[in-house]
Amino acid sequence: MLALKGLGKTYAGGVQALAGFTLDAPPGEIVAIIGGSGSGKSTLLRLISGLDAPTSGTVSIHGEAVHEPHPLINLIFQEPRLLPWLSVRDNVGFGLAHMPRAEQAARIEEALCRVKLEAYGDRLPKALSGGQAQRVAIARALVTRPEVLLLDEPFSALDALTRETLQQHLLDIWAQTRATMILVTHDIDEAVALAHRVIVLKPWPGRILDNIKIAYPHRRSGVAFDQARARVRSALHQSLSVPAPADIRTVWAQHPSVLETSP
Amino acid sequence: MTMNALKAGNALKAGSVSDVASGAIDGPSRAAAGSDAPARPDRPAGLSSGRWGGVLIRFATAVALPVGAFLLWEIAVDSGFASGRLVPPPSRILTTLVDLWTAGQLVDHIVSTCLRVLLGFLAGAAAGALAGSLTGYFRVAHAVVDPTLQALRAIPSIAWVPLFILWFGIFETSKVVLIATGVFFPVYLGVSTALLSVDRKIVEVGRIFRLSGFDLVRRILFPAVLPAFIVSLRAGLGLGWMFVVAAEFMGASEGLGYLLVDGQQLGKPDQIMAAILIFAVIGKLSDAILVQATAPLVAWQDNFSRGGL
Ligand SMILES: Nc1ncnc2c1ncn2[C@@H]1O[C@H](COP(=O)(O)OP(=O)(O)OP(=O)(O)O)[C@@H](O)[C@H]1O
Ligand SMILES: [Mg+2]
Repeated sequence: MLALKGLGKTYAGGVQALAGFTLDAPPGEIVAIIGGSGSGKSTLLRLISGLDAPTSGTVSIHGEAVHEPHPLINLIFQEPRLLPWLSVRDNVGFGLAHMPRAEQAARIEEALCRVKLEAYGDRLPKALSGGQAQRVAIARALVTRPEVLLLDEPFSALDALTRETLQQHLLDIWAQTRATMILVTHDIDEAVALAHRVIVLKPWPGRILDNIKIAYPHRRSGVAFDQARARVRSALHQSLSVPAPADIRTVWAQHPSVLETSP
Repeated sequence: MTMNALKAGNALKAGSVSDVASGAIDGPSRAAAGSDAPARPDRPAGLSSGRWGGVLIRFATAVALPVGAFLLWEIAVDSGFASGRLVPPPSRILTTLVDLWTAGQLVDHIVSTCLRVLLGFLAGAAAGALAGSLTGYFRVAHAVVDPTLQALRAIPSIAWVPLFILWFGIFETSKVVLIATGVFFPVYLGVSTALLSVDRKIVEVGRIFRLSGFDLVRRILFPAVLPAFIVSLRAGLGLGWMFVVAAEFMGASEGLGYLLVDGQQLGKPDQIMAAILIFAVIGKLSDAILVQATAPLVAWQDNFSRGGL
């Protein structure tokens, strides 16, 4: 059980990035965190992972306080952050140095299979595509079998097709490992389709604006999906204090020249 | 203008959509063919016959410029355009080289100079790497030691010569110490600044996997600074060759620097040129050896590659 109590972070210089963030995530829950730029999402994950210390509040797992990176918690960054001098296999095994070799090898192969990169073990990171590199990063976090997996916009730099594939991989992985996942995202569809619960953040200071349970998680269509989507969407726009933006076609209508000219 | 830009944008968008579509079509078949299929067709042929040919072509390209210049000068002196008294033609330099060689001294001169550089380089590089590591890793060490070292670095190293002679005498020790001083600073600066500028993002990966202290150094910091370290070694080696001449100017009975002084005092420009030529060759050779020996260590770098030759 991951418990966050009144988490707050004020950076040097006085920016209050996060305030009073409280959340209990039972084992196996996928929580999506959504919010505008600067609403404290990355800050939140850095606090949970123990990379940064909170200014106020506590993080605990199974009742044990987290002050620094914890073996049961792993963080997948927005960029793959692979170590360029290690092969894919050694990158994946990076967190296993303390284990017997045979056990390492078995876990690495298992993780590579999970992200469907069995054939790429000997490559260097420079020879990977963006999506492959991100999958290696996911595998690297998986091998240590964390109970809590933190993901900071892991798919935001990828094209739509790759993103959907990786979302599917992530759900497969969740089905097998039942890890608690805190997934930061900008994408409403991604949040609603993957999470059991969506938390909408409001910036300056970052705090919870809405906490939406998804009735039928892991579906991409249906009335419940549409309702949840609409609610997240309106909360998000409220958090940005802007009216819901016009449809892209209305935007183009303001530039008639674009509509008239065909390429 | 805006219109054009928008049009270009549209065209681009259309292009990318069709790219995605075609990618989606050939994606699975390519995956089925195996991931490293594209590399196969052109490799084996290149390995068997092209390798030595490639080395030869590279070598020929590299020496074309100096050889051409020598030829021109030889012709100019031969045909009477230039006297060649102060700048002897290559043929005379070559004769001098052969003479020195047959007299049996040349090897001794080369060996003693190389030995001085080697010793000075090893000592200076080791000290520079150690000091650079300490100041790069420990904030306190940086605050205390770096300003002083930077001030020492600002002293033209030749200025140490009189002092080193007083301290270490006029024989080998003072020479090696002077060379080591020259090598020390680029290596120190390279290692120290490289450590200070290791990407925080990569260090955070180490922290997430709970590395600290020595493990963090060994598994993250050391590999991360290795390329910069090698570059600083090359700079240090270059300075080593520079300083060996200064060292040998201050009274030596042996060495390429001695040949230079001797050539000047006895008015033998061909001997000076011969020594300079040898410096050029062994300096380049030592750098090439350093590069070749360290290349496998940094093959992982995703560099802008020069391609072609
Ligand atoms: N190291 C730092 N020092 C000072 N201020 C910071 C620091 N990191 C973040 N901030 C500030 O804290 C606030 C929240 O930043 P954070 O990176 O958590 O936002 P985010 O929700 O992840 O945004 P994005 O969606 O753009 O990634 C921002 O206003 C940011 O400027
Ligand atoms: Mg962020």
